[in-house]
Amino acid sequence: MNRKLASAGAILACAAVAAGCGSSGGGSTGGSTVAGVGNNAKTVTPDMAKNAKGNVTWCIGKDTTGAFAQVVKLYNAQGQAHVKLLELPTSADQQRSQLEQREQAKSPECDVLGMDVIWTAEFAAQGWLRDVTPAIQARASEFIPSTVNTAKINGKDWAIPFNTNAGFLYYNTSKVHQAPTTWQQAFQVAKSSGGLGIQGARYEGLTVNFLEMLYSNGGSVLSSDGKKATIDSPQAQQVLTFLQQGVKNGAIPKSASTWMEEESRNAWQSGKVALLRNWPYVYALAKQAHVKFNLEPLPKWQGGSSASVLGGYNLGISTYSKNPGGALSFINFATGPAAQKKFFIKSSLPAVLTQTYNDPAVKKAQPFAPQLLTAVQQGKPRPVSPVYTQISEAIYKNVYSALWNGESPSTALKNAQNQITKALQTF
Amino acid sequence: MSAAQATVAARPRRRRSEISERRLAAYLVSPSLIVIALVAAYPIGYAIWLSLNQYSVIHPGLSRWVGLDNYRDALTSADFWSAVKTTFIFTAISVTLELVLGLIMALLMHSAFRGRAVLRAVVLVPWAVLTVGVAMMWKTIFDPDLGFINQVFQALHLPGAHTVWLGQSGWAMAAMIFADVWKTAPFMALLLLAGLQVIPDDVYEAAKVDGATAWQRFVSITLPLLRPAILVALIFRTLDALRIFDLPYVLTQGANGTTTLSLYAYQQLTANRLIGPGSALAVLTFIIVMAVSFLYIRLVGGNIRALADEK
Repeated sequence: MNRKLASAGAILACAAVAAGCGSSGGGSTGGSTVAGVGNNAKTVTPDMAKNAKGNVTWCIGKDTTGAFAQVVKLYNAQGQAHVKLLELPTSADQQRSQLEQREQAKSPECDVLGMDVIWTAEFAAQGWLRDVTPAIQARASEFIPSTVNTAKINGKDWAIPFNTNAGFLYYNTSKVHQAPTTWQQAFQVAKSSGGLGIQGARYEGLTVNFLEMLYSNGGSVLSSDGKKATIDSPQAQQVLTFLQQGVKNGAIPKSASTWMEEESRNAWQSGKVALLRNWPYVYALAKQAHVKFNLEPLPKWQGGSSASVLGGYNLGISTYSKNPGGALSFINFATGPAAQKKFFIKSSLPAVLTQTYNDPAVKKAQPFAPQLLTAVQQGKPRPVSPVYTQISEAIYKNVYSALWNGESPSTALKNAQNQITKALQTF
Repeated sequence: MSAAQATVAARPRRRRSEISERRLAAYLVSPSLIVIALVAAYPIGYAIWLSLNQYSVIHPGLSRWVGLDNYRDALTSADFWSAVKTTFIFTAISVTLELVLGLIMALLMHSAFRGRAVLRAVVLVPWAVLTVGVAMMWKTIFDPDLGFINQVFQALHLPGAHTVWLGQSGWAMAAMIFADVWKTAPFMALLLLAGLQVIPDDVYEAAKVDGATAWQRFVSITLPLLRPAILVALIFRTLDALRIFDLPYVLTQGANGTTTLSLYAYQQLTANRLIGPGSALAVLTFIIVMAVSFLYIRLVGGNIRALADEK
């Protein structure tokens, strides 16, 4: 492991060019490596949360179902620290820039930061997060391990998972009688039954769709030390060629080039496509629409293993917080069994604790909970990198060209490889 | 406001020396100059300064002076030039179509008929809708499965009922232009209508007496006298079109050759957090828009003054 290397002062010498620092390959079971993350970070330990007092502000995206406010109320009733909920806009981009502005100004306003899993690395790299490794370790057995990995960099934990998300394969049971277990089968079935709905527009969703197949085929985006792009690989070539053929032979409809989550759901619900790759939120809506359907964790690549890409939010403690103990006390509560159950049932925010999925009340409210647990356990984080958005852009732009504009998979992957390499060098 | 104050305040001081009057004028305009400096000059200057630096998303608080590197990178990248091309194609086609349609609409609204007031109000509705709203609406209309256009094609048994309008290079641009023309032709019409209304009726009457046909009246009277209004409308619309952002952002996210300059700068700056290169793109966009407006003013500004003098 290169934990020692990363935390050594020597890293500062080559901090100027992140990609240029040499270190032996990772080999760690989870988490990612990013040069420079973790130098001089303040650490939060579990005992700081004991006898928490004072005020804590929780900054997170809009509380659309009222569950956040309810949990805050329950926590405040315990008579420890007093938590105030500060709602950020609904749009994820807006949330990110609101948090960034506060952190850049070293504002102590937000003690607990609600971050999309894909920004966590950037926030850690900027030195805005406290190291919560001891706090995670104290509760390690409670969490689904894959969710913790979305915030693990250089062997340290930078945030505590708050909710998660994983892709499912939905299928219309009047057209498809048995769930395909491989992507190859799924495309065969799709060809004869009206198609597979994917998120094919040029945006983050296409990256997710592509990564799920890539991961399942054993491919990767970054080397285990996080310093090199590895997307231009035979595995990626196979996946991209396979997808391109799927578009050509009608397994994926042409209109998917403009589909995001909602468009693909509408196409599936209205019967235009028989199969659909989408998030758990589709479940309740499809039930309401009286669609006859079933769902399974995503198929796997022939000869590979199943892999969904994880979504969801993490909670971090701001470096500039004046009350890290209170912040941790509240995070432990919000990620604890009672609150997680509430969020899952009331807001359909999938829990990060294994036990929540076995709760009878949860199973009753969200009957797909067992499949979701499997999907999340098999889930993989998107590349944990401070330049994730650039990496993702390099992926979806080039995959889009290959799928819809006839670019050859080898050219597309070469371009993606170059763009990711350039992004990793972003000074 | 300050100009009005200046005339009022200056009157009793007429006997004082020229210099103090000038100084007074300077004092009086200074608040507006300060406000302009704060709201316009400072952000522009700051953007230029940012564009000469490189900021990191990897290392906290690190920045370094890179001179014109960001500009060099932008000017040598294929993405930048394709964005320039997209922006200019969009501007040229949409503004031309808007001018023609706007002129037709203005002439219709100008002629006297029953229900003219209602028509004027109705025609302006698209312009009153927020551009983002318009973009959302057209996105739904162009939807390949549930969209209005393909439904109509299907109902009429026309070919192309399964076209993915926003998923193909040529059509995506066409859809974007269509949506823009739909929204802003009424604005063009409004500006031109104002121009039409100041043309005195007796000119037309004199022409009629001389036996000029309707076409002759249009070509020899309406068009020349409308020229100042046309030019003003063109400047407005061209500068607007060069900055187009909302339509491609909502319709295609820049896919299929619809990444305009503003969208490209936004992607680099906001999504990718490339503050230096993104600012350089923003400054380049600013320079292009400035250059085009200078060109217009040079070519056209004198014209407007000459025309005004003639009157």
